Amino acid sequence: MNQLAVVLVFLPVIVSIVIYLSKWRHMNIVAIASQLALTIVAVVYFTHFYGDFESTHIVLGGWDSRIGISLANDELSMSFIFLSLFSWWMVLIYTFRFGHTEHSFLFFLIFLQGVFLGLLQSNDLFNVFVFLELATIIVTILIAYNKKGESFRSALYYLIVNVPAMLVFLTGIILVYFTFGSINIVALTEQFQDVDDTIILRFSYVLMMAGISVKAALFPVFTWLPKAHGVAQSAISALLSGLIVKAGVYLFFRMNFLYEGAGFAYSDFFFIVGVLTAISGVMFALSQKELKQILAFHTISQVGIIMMGVSSADSDMFYGGILHTFNHALFKSLLFLGAGVIIQVYRTKKVGEIRGVFKTMPVVSIFMIVGMLSITGAPFFNGFISKSIIKYGLAEQGWRYWALYVINIGTATSFIKMSQIFFGPKTLSYPLKNMAQNVAMMALAFGCVLLGNFYIPFSEGFFGIRVEEFDLTSFDVLLDYGITVAIGLVFYFTVIARDLKPVRMIRESRISFENANLVFLIYVVALTTYFVFLS
Amino acid sequence: MNPILTFLVVLIGFYGLSTSDNIIKSVFSVTIIESGVILLFLNLGNFQGGSIPILSEDLVSIVDPLPQALMITTIVIGSTVTALSLMLCIKIFHHYGSVKWKEVLARKDVKS
Amino acid sequence: MNNSIRFLRQFVLIALLGTIFVAFTMSMNELQTLYNDFGQQYFFEEGLSDTGSRNLVTAILLDYRLFDSLFEAGILLIAVSGVIWISKHDIEEKNARFMIDKYKTPDLFITFSRLVYPLMLTFGFYVIVNGHLSPGGGFQGGTIVATAILILYYIDPNKETNIGLIVTVEKIIYLLIIVVASISLVTRGTFFTNFFDPSHDADTMAIYLVILNVLIGFKVALGLWTIFTAFLKEGR
Repeated sequence: MNQLAVVLVFLPVIVSIVIYLSKWRHMNIVAIASQLALTIVAVVYFTHFYGDFESTHIVLGGWDSRIGISLANDELSMSFIFLSLFSWWMVLIYTFRFGHTEHSFLFFLIFLQGVFLGLLQSNDLFNVFVFLELATIIVTILIAYNKKGESFRSALYYLIVNVPAMLVFLTGIILVYFTFGSINIVALTEQFQDVDDTIILRFSYVLMMAGISVKAALFPVFTWLPKAHGVAQSAISALLSGLIVKAGVYLFFRMNFLYEGAGFAYSDFFFIVGVLTAISGVMFALSQKELKQILAFHTISQVGIIMMGVSSADSDMFYGGILHTFNHALFKSLLFLGAGVIIQVYRTKKVGEIRGVFKTMPVVSIFMIVGMLSITGAPFFNGFISKSIIKYGLAEQGWRYWALYVINIGTATSFIKMSQIFFGPKTLSYPLKNMAQNVAMMALAFGCVLLGNFYIPFSEGFFGIRVEEFDLTSFDVLLDYGITVAIGLVFYFTVIARDLKPVRMIRESRISFENANLVFLIYVVALTTYFVFLS
Repeated sequence: MNPILTFLVVLIGFYGLSTSDNIIKSVFSVTIIESGVILLFLNLGNFQGGSIPILSEDLVSIVDPLPQALMITTIVIGSTVTALSLMLCIKIFHHYGSVKWKEVLARKDVKS
Repeated sequence: MNNSIRFLRQFVLIALLGTIFVAFTMSMNELQTLYNDFGQQYFFEEGLSDTGSRNLVTAILLDYRLFDSLFEAGILLIAVSGVIWISKHDIEEKNARFMIDKYKTPDLFITFSRLVYPLMLTFGFYVIVNGHLSPGGGFQGGTIVATAILILYYIDPNKETNIGLIVTVEKIIYLLIIVVASISLVTRGTFFTNFFDPSHDADTMAIYLVILNVLIGFKVALGLWTIFTAFLKEGR
């Protein structure tokens, strides 16, 4: 039964190759069918092992677990697996066109799913590295898929920034291997329980975290993200922002679980990095004028909020962070897909040039509004739940609480700016009656509302987290949200709408390629100083 | 001593990445970093000395075979990354007529 | 002014690299006492009886860590399709002519290439087939074979290559590799290992290693061949 874990990885891989080799124009139906089969396998696997995830650990080839590669699942990886299955469903449905198959596109897309599911289940550090590299390469190709100049340069930038970071991660693995004789995460976790605090251990942590931070687009190494997510096709942007960025966040969890025994994981350092990430993401998002750029920068800010949540292991904030990972995947995918439809119809990406969306496409607008309410943290939508849990965790902690408050106001302002596209008279007719796109967006919007109201059974079922203790329905929270939006409105009309000089400066600021690499080195040195020299 | 020297190769690669504006040079800087990491891993596998990891009757000790196996994987990854980035370089040159990051990144997209 | 900023930047850069270097040196000093040779001892003692391969690197690649190797081959697969997709021109051309100009390649080089070509091909196959006994294996041998094929373009620049066919064969071989690797599920109850269990003698177990090495060798050779061809087309 536990060999099904391998099926989860290889079913998409094999199906993708078959799709690539076939010339049949209805091949996308095969893709949907295989996705259905994959979902069934995952559900069977989950129900079989629910409550007993210890026995999911398998060593491929049946060797000693310190020698072979092993796969293992727990609540976290299972929930990520279902999230990724859901995201791929959405992308497959959104890009579905009857009788028209893009074979290469489906090949890369579905292969990436196999790789991602492998990454989530893998229990071997080097194997994780291989999957990360493979995912990086496939994402590069998917970004360049449009074959425009812009997509080529973004793809290359993405590749050249990410590969050195991955090699730094590999150097960390090397140090671990030669100190412990194994790279199996379960075996290492046991060894780490009573390990001496050595420099080599700390330095390996630093190197791994440096690599992961680039993948997760933390401050100050997020420069690749807006370039990559801004130019890819909308479906791909949704997948990248919703899920692939979370590969970094997921590995952040994994590595911190691993190093927990050594005693220096989960430090304040990453809280501060999270705050800086969120604030810089919001700042850049406020200054942008293109629809997808705004959304891409908000991915950075939301990852920052997630990092603020998960930087401490013991408090409730941690669960808030994990929940926010899921909620962000839902509403960010929804926003990107909606933006994709709007850009497709209006043929422009500029927020200033799009008007009257509500009159032109009321259905898409309603979905977009659900997404916006979720991301700004309106009550009864999913973003609100996780943000509130993080907020409760920070309530007594002075500046940290206000930092989150400022970020929320920034997010609200930015989406007030974006909501101007809805107003105005009907300018175009909307001839595209693409049902598949609407179905995908409807499922996501439904998910946002569902999680926003029935979060208690969901979080208990998946993580065993009890969240009833948080009072999330009182009048206070509505007032709180009202105040946030009101300040946002004032801020919007006084600063952003006038396009003052500082806003323009932020928009026009560019960091050159060499300096981006210099910044990465500064980040590595900051990590080294904090974790190695100052300990 | 050897592992430390090989780590210098990694650092040279990073120096190249953060000083060069040329896309092709940055691709090769990545290759240099990768070679440095590979050398480092192989060197550490030879930390205690030994003969090549091919078993015969009269062997006393061998070098660690795992780094060698993992580094084959890394070499394959590195070569594909290089191939892909060079192909993208060619395409960027066709579209923008330049291989300088500064010019390429600043340019507004042109219709191809 | 500009110069001094550049000098300052250089200084900062060197300082940063120096700091990382110092931290690395400190950890290397600790490694003298912490070095753990568990894996090394394990492979030395158990490697041959577990896998039937005298070459322990091949033993790890094709048995202990076959899962990695499958995705290693998968990376090549993806890169081949990616490079083809990116380089594909708007007008479909079947038989592209290549940039190699016959009149610029020295005759001496062409003559020697003719001599060396069969030797390289033979050596490549030797390395592939003997991967479990001597240094080498599918990945290394496949690269040698691909290099030999590349030389062929110098001998005959007008050579026509049907990329579509090569890519199809490559993908099918990859599926075959997965199938061969999964046979052990039937015989031994676990994915991705030798389909003979370790009670067999080394020569019997080597059958599996040779099959897999040959498949991987062909796959790598075809993959690299396609990548080369894509680049040659691009250079015209």
